Amino acid sequence: MVKIFGALLLLVSLGFGNVYEKNCVNCHKIFGPDLKKLFFAYLLKYSSEKRVKKALYEYLKNPDPKKSIMPKEYLKQKGVKKRSKLSDKELKKAIDIYWEKYRVIGRIK
Amino acid sequence: MDTNLLPSEKKSLIYFLSLYIFLAIIILSLVSTMYYNFQKNLMFSQIRPKLTEYAKDVIYRLKEMHQSLGEDLHYPRYGGFKSAIYDADYVKIFSLLENSNVELEKVIYKTGKKIHFIKEPDAYYLGAKYIVIEVEDSEEWLRNTIKNIFIFGFMFLIFMGFIGYFLTKLFLKPMKESFMLLDNFIKDTTHELNTPISAILANIETIDKEKIEEKLQKKINRIDIAARTISNIYQDLTYLILHKKISSVIEDVNLKELLLQRVSYFKILAQSKKIDFVLNINEDIFIKADKKKMAKLIDNILSNAIKYNKVGGKIYITLKDRYISIKDTGIGISKEKIKDMFKRYKRFNQSEGGFGIGLNIVYMIAKEFGIDIEIKSKEKEGTEVILRW
Repeated sequence: MVKIFGALLLLVSLGFGNVYEKNCVNCHKIFGPDLKKLFFAYLLKYSSEKRVKKALYEYLKNPDPKKSIMPKEYLKQKGVKKRSKLSDKELKKAIDIYWEKYRVIGRIK
Repeated sequence: MDTNLLPSEKKSLIYFLSLYIFLAIIILSLVSTMYYNFQKNLMFSQIRPKLTEYAKDVIYRLKEMHQSLGEDLHYPRYGGFKSAIYDADYVKIFSLLENSNVELEKVIYKTGKKIHFIKEPDAYYLGAKYIVIEVEDSEEWLRNTIKNIFIFGFMFLIFMGFIGYFLTKLFLKPMKESFMLLDNFIKDTTHELNTPISAILANIETIDKEKIEEKLQKKINRIDIAARTISNIYQDLTYLILHKKISSVIEDVNLKELLLQRVSYFKILAQSKKIDFVLNINEDIFIKADKKKMAKLIDNILSNAIKYNKVGGKIYITLKDRYISIKDTGIGISKEKIKDMFKRYKRFNQSEGGFGIGLNIVYMIAKEFGIDIEIKSKEKEGTEVILRW
């Protein structure tokens, strides 16, 4: 029931927002994991903007459980996501928006 | 140290001392640099535990900020030190540093008056791979290091100076010995020459040349010239060996009188090569000097002017106020060789006799009475010796 509701919600919301919101936020909001937590996990592992973006891009293009940042238990339960169908340009744009949304550089006081 | 050194000895001594001083300075610089680096590293190792503690405080706070998922982004500020964070690509995430000249490949270093300590946390909280801790360096260690370098460096240079002094003496010894050997040889040889030469000259003077036939008169003249030449060489050698023991009698020497007298003395010698004297000696010019030494100086220049002149040549002598010029029309000498002319035992023409000591004597006498010597010469045209005082 929940899955059907979620799928319906997804279909409705797909018509709104930018490439990041349409292709990332909508799904993660319903099926998780939380994008903010995910961002800080990437930051903790990859440190710089260039490296975080590269790791995200490579994972989204070719999701591999060995390269996933999520705990093994989580992967056992939910598995890895499907390969992104976005074009390179769109995917990079989505990652740029994601970085911009949660970046810490320039926000530390 | 012996100050009466020959130019060649002085040159060798200067080369040796320059090399010695250069090496001493190199050693001193190397040791000073090593000592400075040692003191700096010692200071770093002393301050490092404190800086590690500071870094831990920053990392602890970064972890908290990271765990807040960006909700709390207040960077920690401390009284005793400043800090900054950089990501894995050396991009500054946040900085409170006063000196932003950071070298993230190093662990600890000094930049200006600040000490920077780089710490890498276990995980990249907020993306920070490098934590930079900055503290002020009081530079107490630096002042002590410089003070010690000056004190010990000075002592080292004095010590090296003493060693240098003894090494120089050791270095000059064989050179002095070789000169002494030559001097002694000349001294022994010349000593035996004096009596027979004096006897020949005295006997020639007693001969009444007008009473003897012309052919014999010519022969006697040749003997006279030869004996005078030997006598000159004898006097030069004696002067060279004894000059330190001969004290000068300073008086007003009439150079006009002296020049005319010496020209007359060399006339027979000059005539043997058909050389004419052209004199431009009019005024009575005086110089405060020793008469005998001045005669020796002029004799040597005249003797060279005759010796190296061509047959049928001329010798121009000019006397003016504080100026004597003796110019010949002989073989001349190349420019490169002029600077070596006053060296003892230096001869430029092996076809002529002599020991190569004449101009060395000229140099010594001129130096004693403050006379400047200028040599103008052109090969195959002649040489002019100018004396100014």
